[in-house]
Amino acid sequence: MSARRRSAGWLLAAALAAAGPTLARECNAPGNRIESDRVVIVYRTAPPKIAVGKHFAVEALVCAKGAGAPPTGLRVDAAMPEHRHGMNYRARVLPLGEGRYRAEGLLFHMPGRWQFLFDVDRAGGAERLAAEIVVE
Amino acid sequence: MNRAAVLLAALTGSAAAAGEPPPSVAFTPQETHRILQHGPWPQPKVSDPSNRASGDPRAIALGRALFFDPRLSANGAVACSSCHVPAKAWTDGRARAIGLAPLDRNAPSVVNARLLRWFSWDGGADSVWSQALRAMLSPSEMGASAAQIGGVLHADRRLACLHEATFGAGRDDTQAMVDAAKAIAAFVATLASGRTPFDDFRDALARGERRAAARYPAAAQRGLKMFVGKGNCSMCHFGPNFTNGEFHDIGVPFLVAPGRVDPGRHGGIKRVLADPFNLLGSFNDDASGVAATKTRHVELQHANFGQFKTPSLRNVALTAPYMHDGRFATLRDVVRHYSELDMERIHTHGEQLLRPLKLTDGESNDLIAFLESLTDPSATAEPRPAAPVPECR
Repeated sequence: MSARRRSAGWLLAAALAAAGPTLARECNAPGNRIESDRVVIVYRTAPPKIAVGKHFAVEALVCAKGAGAPPTGLRVDAAMPEHRHGMNYRARVLPLGEGRYRAEGLLFHMPGRWQFLFDVDRAGGAERLAAEIVVE
Repeated sequence: MNRAAVLLAALTGSAAAAGEPPPSVAFTPQETHRILQHGPWPQPKVSDPSNRASGDPRAIALGRALFFDPRLSANGAVACSSCHVPAKAWTDGRARAIGLAPLDRNAPSVVNARLLRWFSWDGGADSVWSQALRAMLSPSEMGASAAQIGGVLHADRRLACLHEATFGAGRDDTQAMVDAAKAIAAFVATLASGRTPFDDFRDALARGERRAAARYPAAAQRGLKMFVGKGNCSMCHFGPNFTNGEFHDIGVPFLVAPGRVDPGRHGGIKRVLADPFNLLGSFNDDASGVAATKTRHVELQHANFGQFKTPSLRNVALTAPYMHDGRFATLRDVVRHYSELDMERIHTHGEQLLRPLKLTDGESNDLIAFLESLTDPSATAEPRPAAPVPECR
């Protein structure tokens, strides 16, 4: 499944509005946004600026988009595509209810281009969304 | 214009007007950014939350005494300082260390250990104090027991006084053994290397002081440019301590002897997770749980096999031989390794960043000149005496 990163902007706002008022309200949290045909993820890191070699967390809000089974869970990982390796640490994802999650224990051990990998569980299978981030 | 670009402009843009010497090496904004990330130095002192004795002068005095005390070994002849010799920049100068028996790995320096995330070449310890315990208890290193270590603390009047003053009375042998390790860790945390010619250059670059920056030898500047540029060395030798603190397979064979391999990080993760003295255990003094984050989340992967820790490069010119097994006698051998990297030897899951650098002789010399500029002139001096503890003379 392809996944694309969307910055906050009018395109996203229009897409959320088209999906219905409930979705627009639920996914109106501050943060970065990625979406597929069936799901929107709004996320931010804690702390906001990721430092190489320092543990951080990811706070995410997962919203269904359109018809279909609602998301039932989220897994968070990260990888460096050019280096063909991931993190040396496994994030633990804590469900906070109402589509909110907090992933803890992430650490980027090298500077460069990383990808956040969000695996959204739902009835009928999981869906992966990827978001790029450059850490210097 | 970002900060690095401003600094670059400051260093290259108005030399004639300022009457400054022309730069001997031009750095791109990206290179300048990378260079600045290798400082500032020294790093601030931060106590270890997992060790309640960290920063305590009484514990430091106790740890200093224990570090040089061979009574902590089974045969009474091996101390921490046997492999971490101050006059040898806290290494031993051997390819592979020798404790009670010959060991498979090179003895790393303990200087700046307080800045590391994992300890030993395989990261088999998650704190300085659990690493000290591992060395004391290992049958091939010091071969001590809890009873023996506790006995040393109880039998020696000054040590007993320092121990009780730091940790309280009525400690059993296991507690005393951990106390000894934490005291040693408190002492090791005081071993910080000083400033180097590179640090002076880096700070001059940060301040935009071209004349001060020009004092840094041109060969070292060229080597630095390669280090942060073409060589990609700073990807792993990252930050002020020139290490990202993690583990990589750089194509060094992990065969220890015929039929026997060193699993490196793969074994280290297994070991640290099985260690009753790890940060997930009851001996961790950090009630917040933050110090144990790395141990709680570290993940055993097949790719860990044959990975070894990225060593710091501070004082690297003083810590030969090199690599986890001490296979390279000189820095030139190390540079040749990266220059002629045998891609066939890189493990399937090896670091994909690596490619043979194919350096010319001049480029190799420049890289070595840069590495030599990471030397603290006082690195081989005896450690300062511990602060007096009046109640334990």
